[in-house]
Amino acid sequence: MTETSLNDRADKQQAAHGGTLKMTARDVDVFYGTKQAIKNVSIDVTQENVTAFIGPSGCGKSTFLRTLNRMNDTVASARVTGDITLDGKDIYGADMDVVQLRARVGMVFQKPNPFPKSIYENVAYGPRIHGLASAKPDMDAIVEKSLRRAGLWEEVKDRLTDSGTALSGGQQQRLCIARAIAVDPEVILMDEPCSALDPIATAKIEELIHELRGRYAIVIVTHNMQQAARVSQKTAFFHLGTLVEYGDTSDIFTNPRQTRTKDYITGRYG
Amino acid sequence: MSPALFLLLVAGLAFIGWITGRARAARFTGTGANRPHSLPGYHGWYVALWALAPALLFLAVWGFVSPGLVDATVTATPQSAAIRLDPADLTAEVRALGTGALTTAFHPEVVPLVPVFQRVQTHYDVIGGVVALLLAFAGGAFAYTRVKPDFRARTRVEQLVMAALLGASLIAVLTTLGIVLSLLFESMRFFARVSPIEFLFGTLWSPQTGDSGTFGAVPLFWGTIFIGAIIAMIVAIPLGLMSAIYLTQYAAPATRRWMKPILEVLAGVPTVVYGYFAALTVAPAIRDFAAFVGIPGASSESALAAGLVMGVMIIPFVSSMADDSIAAVPQSMRDGSLAMGATTSETIRKVLVPAALPGVVGGVLLAVSRAIGETMIVVMAAGLAANLTANPFSSVTTVTTQIVQLLTGDQEFDSAKTLAAFALGLVLFIVTLLLNIVALRVVKKYREAYE
Amino acid sequence: MSTIAPALQPPPKPQPARVPTDWTTTSMQGRIRRRYRSERRFRLLGAGAVLLSFAFLVFLLISMLGQGLRGFTQTELRLPMDFPAARLALDPATLAGPNARAALAAVDLEGATARAADRAYGTGGYKLLSDGAWLSVRSAIQADPQILTRRADIWVPTSTVIDLAAKGDADAEAEAGYRLLDARKAVRTSFSMAFLTGSDSTDPTLVGIWGALKGSLLTMFVTLILAFPIGVLSALYLEEYAARNRWTDLIEVSINNLAAVPSIIFGLLGLAVFLNFLDFPRSAPIVGGLTLALMTMPVIVIAGRNAIKSVPPSIRDAALGIGASKVQVVFHHVLPLALPGILTGTIIGMARALGETAPLLMIGMRAFIASPPGGLADPATVLPVQIFLWSDEVSRGFVEKTSAAIIVLLVFLLAMNGIAIYLRNRFERRW
Repeated sequence: MTETSLNDRADKQQAAHGGTLKMTARDVDVFYGTKQAIKNVSIDVTQENVTAFIGPSGCGKSTFLRTLNRMNDTVASARVTGDITLDGKDIYGADMDVVQLRARVGMVFQKPNPFPKSIYENVAYGPRIHGLASAKPDMDAIVEKSLRRAGLWEEVKDRLTDSGTALSGGQQQRLCIARAIAVDPEVILMDEPCSALDPIATAKIEELIHELRGRYAIVIVTHNMQQAARVSQKTAFFHLGTLVEYGDTSDIFTNPRQTRTKDYITGRYG
Repeated sequence: MSPALFLLLVAGLAFIGWITGRARAARFTGTGANRPHSLPGYHGWYVALWALAPALLFLAVWGFVSPGLVDATVTATPQSAAIRLDPADLTAEVRALGTGALTTAFHPEVVPLVPVFQRVQTHYDVIGGVVALLLAFAGGAFAYTRVKPDFRARTRVEQLVMAALLGASLIAVLTTLGIVLSLLFESMRFFARVSPIEFLFGTLWSPQTGDSGTFGAVPLFWGTIFIGAIIAMIVAIPLGLMSAIYLTQYAAPATRRWMKPILEVLAGVPTVVYGYFAALTVAPAIRDFAAFVGIPGASSESALAAGLVMGVMIIPFVSSMADDSIAAVPQSMRDGSLAMGATTSETIRKVLVPAALPGVVGGVLLAVSRAIGETMIVVMAAGLAANLTANPFSSVTTVTTQIVQLLTGDQEFDSAKTLAAFALGLVLFIVTLLLNIVALRVVKKYREAYE
Repeated sequence: MSTIAPALQPPPKPQPARVPTDWTTTSMQGRIRRRYRSERRFRLLGAGAVLLSFAFLVFLLISMLGQGLRGFTQTELRLPMDFPAARLALDPATLAGPNARAALAAVDLEGATARAADRAYGTGGYKLLSDGAWLSVRSAIQADPQILTRRADIWVPTSTVIDLAAKGDADAEAEAGYRLLDARKAVRTSFSMAFLTGSDSTDPTLVGIWGALKGSLLTMFVTLILAFPIGVLSALYLEEYAARNRWTDLIEVSINNLAAVPSIIFGLLGLAVFLNFLDFPRSAPIVGGLTLALMTMPVIVIAGRNAIKSVPPSIRDAALGIGASKVQVVFHHVLPLALPGILTGTIIGMARALGETAPLLMIGMRAFIASPPGGLADPATVLPVQIFLWSDEVSRGFVEKTSAAIIVLLVFLLAMNGIAIYLRNRFERRW
């Protein structure tokens, strides 16, 4: 199957599913120095759905995720070609401001990475740098709202001045999600957000993803297929830097079109 | 027969011991369970060490004992009894003449004793040498008889190696002990004359007179802090920190590769060069500037000149500590901040530097300890006037400057003036030690936080 | 077919209408522009800090070079000596014989030289000459005794004033005088071997650095033969053998603290222990070397431990596995592999010791010493102390000599550091 026909099919599926397009990627290649990490990937992210990227480790799913808010800019040797748009505007275009872009496309990382500051300051950090709150009461409201949305408010409301690093792993990750929510992004990228957590904390995060769905377009990278099946409506399967298959999660898991996808989800490799 | 010749002979005996021991062991045969325990070389070393060690030990002891014996013999001669001189002075002069350290005598009457001295000296040298040779032979022979196939020569030799290793590492402890004891001992003698209260809290420093009441070290402590911990740090902290930030966060890898070692050259320039530069170039410029602006009390030796140059010297210390601390902040912190749309400078100022702060503070403490112990820059550029002033254009003096000043020239060792230098040294030692301990604690804790 | 069925997912909850941040308002856009301006300022500040530090280094080196290079040269004056007319009580035959030295010493060469200068350059002409000008005359006679039978032009060092005038650094009167001499082709400025081969002197035109350099070399020799073996053995002990106990902790704490003790404290130790207690000779390289060895040893130990630590345990296991004893493992395998790292650390420690001044002042190596030391127990001075002493001299002629001595010191340090970097790059092994 050629890449073009794959892209065509992605477009058709998109139309069939009826989501509102939030981000699109067309013919994206990513190079680290001379090594090509992503080959010709085209994909759409819709407002209403949670999109999951699955695939064996080293398949490029995290790399691709990082191109969506230009975190690859921080790697000196990385080079991205192709078109990626947010609401129809090229995010690699000259008039796109990377600071603004990252405020609109938030990110949650694999390992919880709260700043060594208080819980309050962790959440207030983003609104403060972007000037989203003019006075202390506004900031308090944003912090509370974000912590509530991240399902952490009840657990930490009495100790907002404690260090963010003193929380448990799962709480830290929810703090990081609250931190991302606080700048009121439009898209949230999650890079294996549960891989460092225990099952109970994982369940809480997954529950949180359900809660957030619809309000934010969510893209989640996971190596855990059950998780992809549980939280996402759309699934993309990456292998060796290419997008092998992209479609509704139910289709991918019950009726994959590609043998590689089938082999992967039935556990032949990866 | 000179001592050197005996040494050579002993070494020769040891060498013979090595060869014979090795040769004897080499004749051992046997395989499997009967295989000799040690290689022939170890047997050789075993014999050689037995020949060498007792003889050398004896020679070392003899080196300490024999001068006394020689002197005693010389003073006991009837010729010396006729000379009206203190016996210690007499023997010292005779010794100096006899060994050629002195060519003409202060007291001509001692000259006849010189040949006597040389004869006695040779006599004792020969005694010592012969005993050493006998010891070497006896030791070697004893060891040779022990060379058998099942003798564990290697274990014995290795035990000695271990003893040498342990001995070497104890030198550090001995040095520390030596520093502490010599400083404490001399300081005690100082404090027997000048009260510690006066020394630590007095504000008048004028030790030239040597009177009590003139050993108030507060102006010195202030000068040291003013130059080393205030002015130098005002220069070094911003420049060092910003250099580290720029080189780690902004500069292209090629720039970083070149600039980092180049800036480290600043730390490798000898302090006497900085001192010369401060005194010759910086200090006059600052004095002229102060006169131009109309600041009163400007002196050609100013706290500012010494502090500025010292600050430049410290830049690489601050910079490399800051570099390490910032590098130890996990990359995920940086990513976390950038992913929220923070600019690089916001990330540095609000996340990286606060997170690295303990490490940076530790580095600054180490830098302060280095600055207050620094001697040559302040000796050459800061002056000697013990002023208690906050005017950076005037001259202040420091602890290290005064130590050098007090111990320069040939005054008797027991005066309060010279002993004061050791009391100052003790204060300096304690303060730098505390600073280092605190700094290392802080840095260590900080490292552990991210591991 | 698939073992994983998509879970029954709840439908999206009804969400309140979301008001996205409006990034297009002028206030928001202005804010972003301000943030970028502050970003640029911060970046410039960083670059400025690096450049300022760099500029200071360059300024330091250039000012030393600018003043110091002239210190290697010496202005000389052509002195026409009419030996037969000077009626010196010397004849070439005596000078060829065994009593040459005594014969030369008996003659007033100094007076003859001054008279020759007066004759050639008018009364007061002797003021043009360095105090040591007659030494050049003596050397000329020693080199060729036949010179005594004829008139000859001898190049002799000029006084400091003329020397500085030649280098454009004197008052107008002196420079005018120099120009007159220059017009007569009676002066020349050239590279002076005397600076590299001489010793300290009270006259800046006669000083040299060989005496101090030799003192430095002797001191460094003592430092090296003491600090290197002790340092390496301590490092081996601490890394390879030491059991974790209180003794080991004590040793470690001692070494780490010694590495941070101000150098002047080592000077006090040397003064109290080596000079006053053990009664070693003052100002001698052996005492200086001992003192600096105590200071350098911790540096070598710390560098050595790091080098030994970087030898992978697999090497030790391999050697132990074929029945080598612990001592054999260390001396046959670990030490050779760690040696480049140890040597690098040693050279860096030695470079620090070579530039050290303060502790040597304490043990009396600041005396005026006009001849190079002959042995380890002779009074000597070292290069950094010589720089310190010259920097204190009043005569302006010493300024360029001090800078020249600094250049020599820096060249040595640069060479040592260069060797250390070369060693590190050449032998650095990545496991």
